[in-house]
Amino acid sequence: MITTPDLIESLVANSPPVRRLRPPVARALGWLLFAALMLALLAVSHDLRPDLALRLQQPEFVIGIAASLATGVLAAIASFLLSIPDRSRVWLLLPLPALFVWVSTIGYGCLVNWVSLQPGNMPFGDEAGCFALLVLTGVPLSLAMLIMLRHAALLAPTRVAISGGLAVAAVTATALSIFHNHDASAIILIWNFGTAVLLVALGGLTGRRIFSWIAQR
Amino acid sequence: MSSGQSSRGPALSLVKERSAARSAHELDWSIYMARAQDGDREAYRRLLEEITPYLRSLATRRVPNRSDVEDAVQDALVTIHAVRHTYDPARPFGPWLVAIANRRIVDGLRRRGRTGARETPLDAEHETFAAPEANYHEAASEARALREAVERLPLGQREAVRLLKLKEMSLKEAAAVSGMTVAALKVATHRALKTLRKMLGRQDRRT
Repeated sequence: MITTPDLIESLVANSPPVRRLRPPVARALGWLLFAALMLALLAVSHDLRPDLALRLQQPEFVIGIAASLATGVLAAIASFLLSIPDRSRVWLLLPLPALFVWVSTIGYGCLVNWVSLQPGNMPFGDEAGCFALLVLTGVPLSLAMLIMLRHAALLAPTRVAISGGLAVAAVTATALSIFHNHDASAIILIWNFGTAVLLVALGGLTGRRIFSWIAQR
Repeated sequence: MSSGQSSRGPALSLVKERSAARSAHELDWSIYMARAQDGDREAYRRLLEEITPYLRSLATRRVPNRSDVEDAVQDALVTIHAVRHTYDPARPFGPWLVAIANRRIVDGLRRRGRTGARETPLDAEHETFAAPEANYHEAASEARALREAVERLPLGQREAVRLLKLKEMSLKEAAAVSGMTVAALKVATHRALKTLRKMLGRQDRRT
């Protein structure tokens, strides 16, 4: 085993100047800018859902989109704050109010539209496009966040991964509601919330391993 | 420490002075780290050397096994090195340092807990020392094996070993006691040792 003074010597010998991280909120805004860019690109390539103007006049829809967007923004800020060693872990709770509103709107819509869910008219068949949209937004956003937060590997990978997963899921869900035409809210529930749970769970379970893998590159 | 203060309230003033000293340290450390981030190696060396005892005291408080304390200190130092760009010089250095150190100490405890579940600790009672009496059990079993081997020797050889080696008689004394000639005793001893070597050696290979 190397002695501590020797270790210090080797660390000192290998200490080129480093660039300080910008404030976490600024970095979170950077990531959100990237997310906005992704959504804009999708809007150009993918058509917006045809009934968007109509839906934007419905308060539940607007509240739902606003809440999922707010969840994404707050969760992104929370992840960047959590990745800094001396910030409080209570920041993990930052997106919770928005998350609560978001889940409530999904639940509310589900309750109201429950009657329309006849076995025959479930709008399946559109899943491939839906899934492609999820992957198209989710993968680049996850990668960007992983790379921006790779230093968290040694510190609090699980916490950061949970909150990062929530940020990606919320932004993806926002994209889904803008671009994709879902009438049955059970499908919205499955897609939106299922993806969110999946991403957050993936983050929580594999965050430690993924972060240490990325940090080694 | 001034003697005038000690009459008023020594405990309080001591605590105050200690925290004042630590915050002074922290300010130094913060400046050192800011310089180290800009590539000042001397400042970095001083910082690492000064925080090492502090890290050690943090680790000693939470790591039960003394030999693991130094591992935890080194782990913390390496981590601090790896994430030194996350320190913001506008913020106090202490919380940053303590957060990293505690994180690594807990991680280390978990890791050692996992390996520890598959290992048996070497306690004081398991330790063996160079002093022969510490290995009494082994020595006793070897002695018994030797005694049994001697018992199995032919009569003349056994007699020779018993008189010359175990009772440590001279050849003349042994000759007088046993009635054998000196030459016969020598030959018997030689053969006895050869037989013993063969018996014990074969036993060794068997076990």
